Amino acid sequence: MLYDLRRADARIKWLVTCLLATFGLSYVFGALMVSLYAGFTPQRVAATYAGREMPMAMPPDSTMVVEHPMTMADFAQPEVHAVDTNLLIQDTHVHVPVYGLMAAALSVVVAGLALKRGWAFALITLLFAAPWLDFAGMWLTKFASPRFAIVTLIGGWAMGAGYLVVAATAVRQMWFSHERS
Amino acid sequence: MSSLIRTVAIAAVLHITPAVVLVKRPNAVQALLPGAEAYFAREVHLSNADAHRLHLAVDWSPEDGVLTFYSGKTGPAMVGTLEFVRVDTPHGPIEVAVGFTPQGTVRAVIVTKATVEMKPWVLEAVAAGLTDHYRGLKPSEAPAGSAAIANRVGDLAEYIAGEVDKGVARALVAYGTFYRSAKA
Repeated sequence: MLYDLRRADARIKWLVTCLLATFGLSYVFGALMVSLYAGFTPQRVAATYAGREMPMAMPPDSTMVVEHPMTMADFAQPEVHAVDTNLLIQDTHVHVPVYGLMAAALSVVVAGLALKRGWAFALITLLFAAPWLDFAGMWLTKFASPRFAIVTLIGGWAMGAGYLVVAATAVRQMWFSHERS
Repeated sequence: MSSLIRTVAIAAVLHITPAVVLVKRPNAVQALLPGAEAYFAREVHLSNADAHRLHLAVDWSPEDGVLTFYSGKTGPAMVGTLEFVRVDTPHGPIEVAVGFTPQGTVRAVIVTKATVEMKPWVLEAVAAGLTDHYRGLKPSEAPAGSAAIANRVGDLAEYIAGEVDKGVARALVAYGTFYRSAKA
């Protein structure tokens, strides 16, 4: 195969290394942002995307009133960052194409690695499937059941794992492999 | 809906700075419901017709179609009611806490949240006495804090005072229409 990152020109190897470093930086800050707004537990993700729990079904033609006692501690509770449907539409529109481009770029790196075909196919599939799971989980959490928050978490961790596998393998093969040129 | 789309479009183009808490909610509650010993949250889940009515009146749709009023009592005596109202601006959201007396007039207004960019504008407007101009307003009246401080502050503080006016107007209409009328 002509495309082999182990034997690529040093400038190409440097390009790929810089690309991976940039993606790594964006993933670190992505994780920090998730910890600030949605959290890493199914409960917090469900609270972010499922929305306000209705104690009763909303009749279409009448306004309903629910009253409950509060404590001062309730006022001090950190507010849950809620993503409503309009914001989720915007998030999906903005994030999914970018995730697709990132998965494509990482897949191009995978294609240049010395991996068995099966592993390469699996890794490329993982790179694209992870963001699909991430966003499918958000939509299912909102419209099907809060239990689907776990799908978003699996998707998020899969994105991170996919990136780490590609980055570690690429750096090892490009800069530390015995077969490199 | 159109205001939401406008806000999202503007936010996509402009850089929104991070949100900052100017006054913590418990502190705002203690200031607006002084001496209260027991607190209650009344959630008003608006029907489509009522949500539309509110939107027509003040160009506002509360999050998830739910208005939340917090009331405080000392023993059996009502201390007052308050609302937290969010206003989305092209520079990010601000949050205004509006407290009402048991007689239904505005007791006080506190700007509880802004963004890093808007914080100095809010502080300038408040220092010029913006929130004093809301005291005593009735639900049928329109707030005019921005006009009242216009000759004493810069353009940006006057601008943000207009956004606070919007928040107070929303609280007044929501309170007059969906809290006081329901209690009568």
